[in-house]
Amino acid sequence: MKSLNKILTGIIGIIFSLLVGALLIKIQGNSPINAYKALYDYGLGSWFSITSTLNNSTPLILTGIAAAIAFSSNVNNLGQPGQLIIGALSAALLGYYLPFPGWFGIITILILSGIIGGLYASIAGILKKLYKMDEMLTTLMLNFIADYLTLYLATYPFLDKKSYVPATKMIKKEYFLPSFKYLNSSFFIAIFVVLISYFVVKYFKKGYEWRMMGHNPDFSRIGGCDNEQNLMWVMFYTGFLSGLAGALLILGGTQHRFIKGIGANYGWDGVMLSIVGANGILETSFFSLFFGFLKSGGVGMEFEASIPSEFIMVLQATIVLLVVSTRSVFSYYGDKIKAYSKTQKVVKAHE
Amino acid sequence: MSYIEMKNIYKVYPPDVIALEEVNFSLQKGEIHSLIGENGAGKSTLMKILYGLVHPSSGQVYINGNEVKINSPSDAINFGIGMVHQEFMLIPSFKVYENVILGMERTKKFGVINKEEAINELEELTKRYGFDLDLNAVTSDLSVAARQKVEILKLLYRKVDILIFDEPTAVLTPQETEQLFTEIKSMKEMGKTIIFISHKLDEVLEISDRITIMRSGRIVSSIENKNLTKSNLAKMMVGKEVILSVTKKPIEPGQIILKTENLTVDFKQSKHKFLQDINIYVRAGEIVGLAGIEGNGQLELVQTIIGESQSLNGKIYIDKNEITNSEIKERRFLISYIPSDRKKYGLALTATLTENLSMTHHLGNKLSSFKYFINWTKAKVLSNNLLNQYNIVARGINDMPKHLSGGNQQKVILAREFSLDAPFLLLDQPTRGLDVGSIEYVHNVILKMREKGKAILLISADLDELLSLSDRVYVIRNGKIVVELDPTVHSKEEVGEYMLGGKE
Repeated sequence: MKSLNKILTGIIGIIFSLLVGALLIKIQGNSPINAYKALYDYGLGSWFSITSTLNNSTPLILTGIAAAIAFSSNVNNLGQPGQLIIGALSAALLGYYLPFPGWFGIITILILSGIIGGLYASIAGILKKLYKMDEMLTTLMLNFIADYLTLYLATYPFLDKKSYVPATKMIKKEYFLPSFKYLNSSFFIAIFVVLISYFVVKYFKKGYEWRMMGHNPDFSRIGGCDNEQNLMWVMFYTGFLSGLAGALLILGGTQHRFIKGIGANYGWDGVMLSIVGANGILETSFFSLFFGFLKSGGVGMEFEASIPSEFIMVLQATIVLLVVSTRSVFSYYGDKIKAYSKTQKVVKAHE
Repeated sequence: MSYIEMKNIYKVYPPDVIALEEVNFSLQKGEIHSLIGENGAGKSTLMKILYGLVHPSSGQVYINGNEVKINSPSDAINFGIGMVHQEFMLIPSFKVYENVILGMERTKKFGVINKEEAINELEELTKRYGFDLDLNAVTSDLSVAARQKVEILKLLYRKVDILIFDEPTAVLTPQETEQLFTEIKSMKEMGKTIIFISHKLDEVLEISDRITIMRSGRIVSSIENKNLTKSNLAKMMVGKEVILSVTKKPIEPGQIILKTENLTVDFKQSKHKFLQDINIYVRAGEIVGLAGIEGNGQLELVQTIIGESQSLNGKIYIDKNEITNSEIKERRFLISYIPSDRKKYGLALTATLTENLSMTHHLGNKLSSFKYFINWTKAKVLSNNLLNQYNIVARGINDMPKHLSGGNQQKVILAREFSLDAPFLLLDQPTRGLDVGSIEYVHNVILKMREKGKAILLISADLDELLSLSDRVYVIRNGKIVVELDPTVHSKEEVGEYMLGGKE
């Protein structure tokens, strides 16, 4: 019921944003109807569009729930972009150097890249534990380090000499994740991880402790939970998810190598998604699919209606603002209206 | 004609909580009018409406027969209505007179504050009302009682005629309460009108001219203070007979459960607070009270026992286990803990009741089928049982504590902690801010735990409660145990003297 509520207010917010978007398109002299038709055609109109939407949403799902789990545990991990890119680079290198055969290699790469992403996130946890450094700042700063570290590694030690841009060599063919009718299997891996995460947070003692730490850290500490240790675990787990998202980009994407800019905006989109999904794992995953739709549909808007693809980013930002405000407006005025009608009822009963 | 008349006041808090229903309240000039009622009865809401902090959903307010709209506290002050809140609103680093004139400064040329005029006026005021207050003292150095006086002085300086006191005695010692009452009476003589909100029926009977009793958002009765007794009032407040006195079964205490040896705590952050060579013990089946004015080391003792802070020296044993350096988690198998700040430490207000009631229980294997998992079916069974057993009024186990009244929130904590079955119970202000009905309930549960053979350390600012429940009482002052007293022999006043340092 509660998560249905979150999804419904989310959808209403999205409808408002699309209206605002239509206005912006109109102001620029384009036809909103044509633009949104192209958005639909390329995002959902055919089987190919649907699969491209799902493929686009795969990394978003993972970074989204990474942010959602961190924020709902009162851990301000804003390092998804860095953790993702570190995971991606690890996967690219492992995919080139690892001697293991097929499936076994894939699993090893995914798990190891996730762990490396998790360890990278744990740096912020350790700094918090040892020096009480605010994890919001450290994770943000670690994004820059990850950016330039991976760029350096892809430009010098691991550069593919045949490439014109900083990029590593392509991973072995046997590690490519297969597609079924255009739908890449990495999507199923993401869904599987969503279910596992949901289970961990709901049924593990640790998951319960994380959530209670999110509600009230003093309460959980006095109740006998080790908040410091839990913070480390949340950092590691959410870093693992972002690192895994990066690895899936390499193994399941189209490039199969680490190229400058491969992380795109997936990390930050994850942070936005957790806001739209109100930190719920399932809700965030649902809206990740929608953002995936915007990404694939945005290509259509650019092709068919010549609306720049940056417009989708404007739309995303509008969605975040409007979903959050719709939610507050609904609960605020909903409560006020209820209170007013209740007053009328009670006063009448006394007259 | 009444001085203040509140007519047909309704207040519905969004979304649908009825706080006040057809309330008619009138106040005569120059009276001391007490407002009593259980928590959630609506007394604070009613007074907040009068003070402009809350707007009524329906209804009118008249002053001297003229209808007025009070939209904000500054409106209220202009109408001559002021309120002394439970939490003081003072700037600690300011001098007393600076706090008083803040917002109403009179200036000389170039905006320079006219200090002499302010001090003269305030000196005249303090003399007239018999306040013993150093106007040049820094506020943070003052005792709680003195800070309360500063709050009152603020209102008098703003020339209010009606002073609303929101549970002013909750933070005071018996001696300080006496003094406050003298001051209130002298304010009355000077023609001020007083509204006194309280839970303490003795005090209400002592000071009021008129008493208005509220129950679940309505006024039950508004009567002259003549021939009334405590049990009259309690019955009207709760709606049923209340047993106010505590009856304890005689129990021979068992072996020592809690023992501290030369416990010394030194907080580097603050020079004032410390514990020095605390040697206390609590035996199975006895309630030991810790009396003291707030800020004399009680907080530090509680934190050291529960594991929030480490001791510098000394040892703590519970049930023969040394826990001096144990993690909170290990201690929680031995200690049930009722924290004084229930919203900060005792509850997750936005989580479900099941989640709240499962805390600490989840550390053991009681709620799991497999070691690292929680079996929510078991947790729900536990929660349902506790809800029934402790009569917690809620919409079910998925309700959130933020929707519950203070008394029910406290019952949630009691239910969780007492069902842990730990040998030692650490109770820090277990009835603070609760209403008569809930207090009776909490006392009974505590006594039941005593009969079960638990060792109980009780910290309470309410001396009546402390003395009636405890088998032995330690008095703490300046971080030292000053004396151990027997509540059957020593009176409340004697304990108060030890607390203040009048007796050594």
